[in-house]
Amino acid sequence: MTDDPQAPYAAALASLPLMTVRRLTTLIGAGAPEAVWRTVAGGGARSLPGLAGVLGASVAEVSSRWAEAAGHQDVSASWAQLRDAGRSAVWFGGPGYPSRLAADPEPPPVLFVEGALDQIAGPAAALVGTRAATGYGRDVARLLGRQLAEAGVVVVSGLALGIDGAAHEGALAAVGAPPVAVVGSGLDVVYPRRHSRLWQRVARAGVVVTEAPPGAAPEPWRFPLRNRVIAGLSDVVVVVESRATGGSMHTVDHAHARGRPVLAVPGSIMSGQSTGTNQLLAEGATPVRDADDVLVALSLAGTWSAAGRPGSVAVEPEPEPEPALDRIASLVLEAVDWTPTRTDEILRRTGLSLSAAAVTLTRLEVLGRVRGGGGWWERRSHADRSP
Amino acid sequence: MTATIPAATLLGVDGHAVDVEVHVSNGLPCFTVVGLPDASCREARDRVRAALLSSGQAWPQRRITVNLAPSTIRKGGAALDLPIAVAVLVADGVVPAEAVRDTAFLGELGLDGSIRPVTGTLSLVDAISSATVVVAAASAVEARLPRRHRVRSAEHLTEVIDALLGKAPWPDLPIAPPAAVPQPAPDLVDVRGQPHGRWAMEVAAAGGHHVLLVGPPGAGKTMLARRLPGLLPPLDRAGALEVTRVHSAAGLPLPPGGLVEWPPLRAPHHGASAVSLIGGGSGWLRPGEISTAHRGVLLLDEIAEFPAAVLDALRQPLEEGVVRVARAKATVTFPARFLLVGTMNPCPCGDGGPPGSCRCSEQARQRYGRRLSGPLLDRFDLRVPVMRPLVEDLLAAPQAGRSLESSSVVAQRVAQARTHAVGRGVRTNADLPAELLDVLAPMDTPATAVLEYKLRVGALSARGLHRIHRVARTIADLDGADVIGEEHVCGALELRTDIDLLEQA
Repeated sequence: MTDDPQAPYAAALASLPLMTVRRLTTLIGAGAPEAVWRTVAGGGARSLPGLAGVLGASVAEVSSRWAEAAGHQDVSASWAQLRDAGRSAVWFGGPGYPSRLAADPEPPPVLFVEGALDQIAGPAAALVGTRAATGYGRDVARLLGRQLAEAGVVVVSGLALGIDGAAHEGALAAVGAPPVAVVGSGLDVVYPRRHSRLWQRVARAGVVVTEAPPGAAPEPWRFPLRNRVIAGLSDVVVVVESRATGGSMHTVDHAHARGRPVLAVPGSIMSGQSTGTNQLLAEGATPVRDADDVLVALSLAGTWSAAGRPGSVAVEPEPEPEPALDRIASLVLEAVDWTPTRTDEILRRTGLSLSAAAVTLTRLEVLGRVRGGGGWWERRSHADRSP
Repeated sequence: MTATIPAATLLGVDGHAVDVEVHVSNGLPCFTVVGLPDASCREARDRVRAALLSSGQAWPQRRITVNLAPSTIRKGGAALDLPIAVAVLVADGVVPAEAVRDTAFLGELGLDGSIRPVTGTLSLVDAISSATVVVAAASAVEARLPRRHRVRSAEHLTEVIDALLGKAPWPDLPIAPPAAVPQPAPDLVDVRGQPHGRWAMEVAAAGGHHVLLVGPPGAGKTMLARRLPGLLPPLDRAGALEVTRVHSAAGLPLPPGGLVEWPPLRAPHHGASAVSLIGGGSGWLRPGEISTAHRGVLLLDEIAEFPAAVLDALRQPLEEGVVRVARAKATVTFPARFLLVGTMNPCPCGDGGPPGSCRCSEQARQRYGRRLSGPLLDRFDLRVPVMRPLVEDLLAAPQAGRSLESSSVVAQRVAQARTHAVGRGVRTNADLPAELLDVLAPMDTPATAVLEYKLRVGALSARGLHRIHRVARTIADLDGADVIGEEHVCGALELRTDIDLLEQA
């Protein structure tokens, strides 16, 4: 990858203005990137095979814009800048291009990479879901992320808020397969800003890839395209929590188009954030009850547990018995639902004063039995007690 | 031929003594006012002349010069009408100088000779050193508040002239209605449910903590906030005088007893300008809403709708308890030590609901949260979730113990708790300096353990820690505990919400 003399030109082509995936696919398919670049810079883009058809009526205007932009660009300087930032690029047909994507119906023509791309080897599972996740969804994403990574499964997600972030955090907490993030902006444009630290950690421990050239803003149209790359890089797609209209459903469509199994985590039928996942289950998606269900879908359950890999889900010791609770604590715990419950509802059910209930709830929180804040409390399963 | 009558003029909320000197001499008939009068003060010429003529006096056809000393202070308002009229009469020889010895006058004159009350009477009278003060009948109750002067009052200029000439006694002073009528404030007993809100009001009153109430529309945020003044202890005499001075100077109606004895509540609409909130204005430096809320409650309903510049202007007064308004002609200091209550919705759609149920986009929520600047947000020790009451609580029979305490019961606990703060050398716990918290507000081991846990999982920041510490101290005070215990810290944590609480992992 480092020695690929064509990569700087592929990256330069991807950075041209008015570039779309379809146009770039045609350009990359038209020959060696260096030769194509020289043709484009010379204003001869329209003569490249297939491009006139893709561009249609705007062919003259786009060709001249490209020629003008190419004339202003110093390919080796841009490449040096990219490399200095610890980044790289691969192109469809070039060395180092991920084999899973090479067989994809819509392969990304050029991928910008931060981290070691060759780590995306072996089984891979996408963990996707809503940005406005509930505490339950986050817990599940974090748990699955950690256990899958420990079992040696590469966890692919999108570094978005909510489920994506929790999945990456889980994968980072494990000693196992590296995390992989597919993002919708340039590698130098961290989005969402709140995840800048998580972004760095993922890049250091695993790899962050994107189709967007450096400097590209996180424009809305890039995210559905990003979702197709997530589906393409994974063997299975797990939807942790999503509304029926959520962006994760696009990832599901892409997975279906590629014949990848889709799994869904069951959610409360009272929760709007689970309407999409529950609908997927109704349509026949495999339910995910724990990481084992994902490993089965990856045809891995036997291999990993047979290997007796320490820390893998299959051989995880039984959870420790719960410490006994006193009468008040049991009463309060009983009054908290598995979905967010209002504090005043808890008071009504228990008959306690707010200050008495607050102490007990906080004690239960420290024990990992409930989670709360802002006037809401919900129970936590014993599966994931890591804060 | 000359006469000098003591009077006073208002600058901000403070009175300044003024001598009204009148010189009557031979020459072309004319009437001039010198000594830095502003427009309304210069208009006194026409009012005084008409009032004297209406009172059956002849206008001296001579050269009349009025000087308002000291000439460095700008004189505004119409309070000098009456002293000018009396001074003209004395200088013209109608009233003997002996009759007005050691007597000050304050009042605006109508064209028919009637005497009208003026704003800031309390401060004006307070600035006067003469033994006797003559004011409008409507101001008599207020003028007696400093308790240093013999107060005379009259409704008409003729009554003043007759009394000065000895033709008639001074009119009787209006009888002041009995003071300290219990405040007809809304009572906490009307609030159903709302365990967080009720407790937060109690803690805010006890600790002087500024409160941000976060909840969906119609949840009862404003209802709760309006009950906060009723939980505060009544003002002591010094405090009541301070507040009355501001209210009088701002031209607000005073209670029948003349003294504002209960903590005031001011609730400006979010269309308010910075000047109306802070004070100032051209010409007349008027106290703003934050000063009329002095020693009371300033309620900023829908605080996120206030312009950012207006809100940020609150930061200095919140810090110092006073606001200094500087204009080219004068700089005045208004008192502004108030309890700030803000209300806002949890997000633009305002629906609230369980975490994760809001449909606002991430950007919209962040933009909404950013309307309050960090430094201002930092002032709110209490950020309390308020939810629509449960149906069961709304319909519950009014006997369920704690949840239906009346304001007077809570106010007793509050008064008790406030004495503890005074013992620590601060007015209220909200003023406890961060560096002395560990010394002045020690915690026991279980309490520390809870905070340690919260810090370790990242649910609490260093600044948040100080806020929780202060609030926990107040809760412990309400509980009568010397050391902050686990239950107090947990209570403080329960009373807190983050603006973008939905994003808490």
